[in-house]
Amino acid sequence: MGWILNRVTVTFALIAAVVIGWNLYVVRHDDGILEGRVVDQAGAPVAGAHVVLNEQTLVSLAPIAETKTDAQGRFTFERHDRHALVLTAGKDGVGASGRIEVRLYFRNQNRVMSEPIALGADRPA
Amino acid sequence: MPVETASRVARTTTGRGGLLARKRHRELLLIWLLLTPALLIFLAYRILPLLWNGVLSFQFWSPTKPAEWAGLFHYEEMFVYDDVFWTSLYNTFLYMLTAPISIGIAVVLALMVNSRIRGRGVYRTIIFLSYPLMVVAVGIIWRWLYDERVGLINYLLRQAGLIDEPIAFLESYGTALPSVIAAAIWQITGFFMIILLTGLQNIPPSLYEAASIDGASRWSQFWRITLPLLRPSIFICFVIAIIASFTSFDLIYVMTGGGPGHATELLITYIYKAAFTLSQFDYAGALTIVMFVLFVGIALLGNLLAGGDAGKVDIAE
Amino acid sequence: MHNYPRWPIHAALILVSLVMLVPFYWVFKTSITGENIFVYPPSLIPVDPQPFFYVDAWYAIPFPYFFMNSVIVAVMVIAANLVINAAAGFALTKEFAGKRWIVLLFLACMMIPFHATIVPAYLVTSHLGLLNTHLGLALPAFSHIICIFLFKASFDAIPPSLIQAAKIDGVPEWQIMFRILLPLARPAVAANVILSFIWSWNDFLWPLIIIRDVEMQTLPLGLSTFLAYFEDTTGSLYAFCVMVLAPGLLVFLLAQRQFIEGLTSGARKG
Repeated sequence: MGWILNRVTVTFALIAAVVIGWNLYVVRHDDGILEGRVVDQAGAPVAGAHVVLNEQTLVSLAPIAETKTDAQGRFTFERHDRHALVLTAGKDGVGASGRIEVRLYFRNQNRVMSEPIALGADRPA
Repeated sequence: MPVETASRVARTTTGRGGLLARKRHRELLLIWLLLTPALLIFLAYRILPLLWNGVLSFQFWSPTKPAEWAGLFHYEEMFVYDDVFWTSLYNTFLYMLTAPISIGIAVVLALMVNSRIRGRGVYRTIIFLSYPLMVVAVGIIWRWLYDERVGLINYLLRQAGLIDEPIAFLESYGTALPSVIAAAIWQITGFFMIILLTGLQNIPPSLYEAASIDGASRWSQFWRITLPLLRPSIFICFVIAIIASFTSFDLIYVMTGGGPGHATELLITYIYKAAFTLSQFDYAGALTIVMFVLFVGIALLGNLLAGGDAGKVDIAE
Repeated sequence: MHNYPRWPIHAALILVSLVMLVPFYWVFKTSITGENIFVYPPSLIPVDPQPFFYVDAWYAIPFPYFFMNSVIVAVMVIAANLVINAAAGFALTKEFAGKRWIVLLFLACMMIPFHATIVPAYLVTSHLGLLNTHLGLALPAFSHIICIFLFKASFDAIPPSLIQAAKIDGVPEWQIMFRILLPLARPAVAANVILSFIWSWNDFLWPLIIIRDVEMQTLPLGLSTFLAYFEDTTGSLYAFCVMVLAPGLLVFLLAQRQFIEGLTSGARKG
């Protein structure tokens, strides 16, 4: 019986540890900051590009925020309060991006996009 | 804590009788106090509902209307006009086919996991695994396996070249009920295997030794020793399977909802629909009475066939 | 015993094990698959495994509520079953006038499947004002007759001399139950806990009938509601399905022997 008790306690202690650890991580990383860059086809940063943040629900796509890139082509969103996002960007004369899916592991997870968003000349803004 | 109350009550009673009589009195009080909670539960949730069902079935009643005497109206409606009732009754009997099939498989499995092979404990766990799981989740798993477009079963059948067009297992009249029954068999067979295994292990090995010395083949040992001695265990499995055919609500609700049409409607799902989607509580009461009578009838018949009080003796004594 | 070739048995058992395990695998695979779940032919192994169906499911449903409701009801049912069934089982080991009738009554109740009482049971619960509450969910399952008889059988097996000895030692009568009878009836206690846990944890029909609010739903009810909303259109359904199965599976694997013993003793008495 002691052996069983041991196994049970060990299992539940492990689960508790994982849950607590995960929640600690979440609390420290849930400012909902989403950072990225917009570049043109040549890879040069695009300033003043229009970036739209959309929410991806189970059935639809709904815009929730928009912003413009700065001189280095950077953009930042904050406190978007979502976990499944789609980014679109565009600028007159440069072109538009495709839909970029951003899936987060929890709501408001901070994320820096590793790949810049590329605007293609073939797509009209 | 009923026990505490009992002793406190008993302490305050000052009887005139002798010490022994007072003690007996106290004990009786304690006994009845201990029995009360269980009796109340069964009174409120077994006896009373059964009687209430009976009353309902002879009334016109709904939550918004005062009761009115209906006589045999609901029963007439059911037996004479209601095709769905007959369909669900027929399906309930078809569903009982789970019993022979799964018990047949379980006997073979029990013999195999009872043989002295390596890893039999693992096999037992794996085969039993499906039984204690939530039926609703099992229903969803099987819906997905049966899926017409990308279900695993259709995929395997097409890969094997057995069918050209995918089969809509749960959406066609012909295949819906057998498909649900197959899922039910999948879930319950492991449990039967364990019951039969316990039965097998209770057969004294000396019987087989004696039979071997007499030169009986394994085949005839199976028919002469194993099967007859397994009879009580097999009977238990039958009872469980029959009960399941009256109570398999979850699987049907999740997998087909009784459809297509009423192709997988069982009595229990029909009762649920009559009462809680159509608000015909009175008619559902009548349906329940029929189901109950059928259930008791089958149970008594089974007991008779099993030769009297099989399985009940040890409790009733 | 004769020697016989083992490999056909192994082959058959491995095949059966596959049939038992593949459905679990298939749902798990779907729940972590990155591709569209409606692509034909389906891949046998998960493509770009990712956990996002679980993230979607977590935010689409109040999972912690469902889980806590299930736990609360299960704890209430287990506790009530232990107290009520042990008490009744103990009472049935004594002799008293009318015992025959009580036993007959219990046996008769056993012949009334709960499913045959749902309509009036709903009305009873509604009169008690317990619709849409935890107590209402748990109350009908507060006592299982099989478990009463399991307790009676194991109390009967305890030699009376032991109880006499305790009485002589001056153990108060009501303590005998906790200090002597229950520890000796441990298999019955285990079976009781397991059976009432499984029946309450997996119960679906009763919550379906009496629960109205989403926050009061138990796991199986939440799962079926999710299915009703989204049909089979999203992998989140299968993620949810795995999340619902996991706790039960974990408990089963941790207490496998007790599960099997409890369930078989329940069946043998039923």
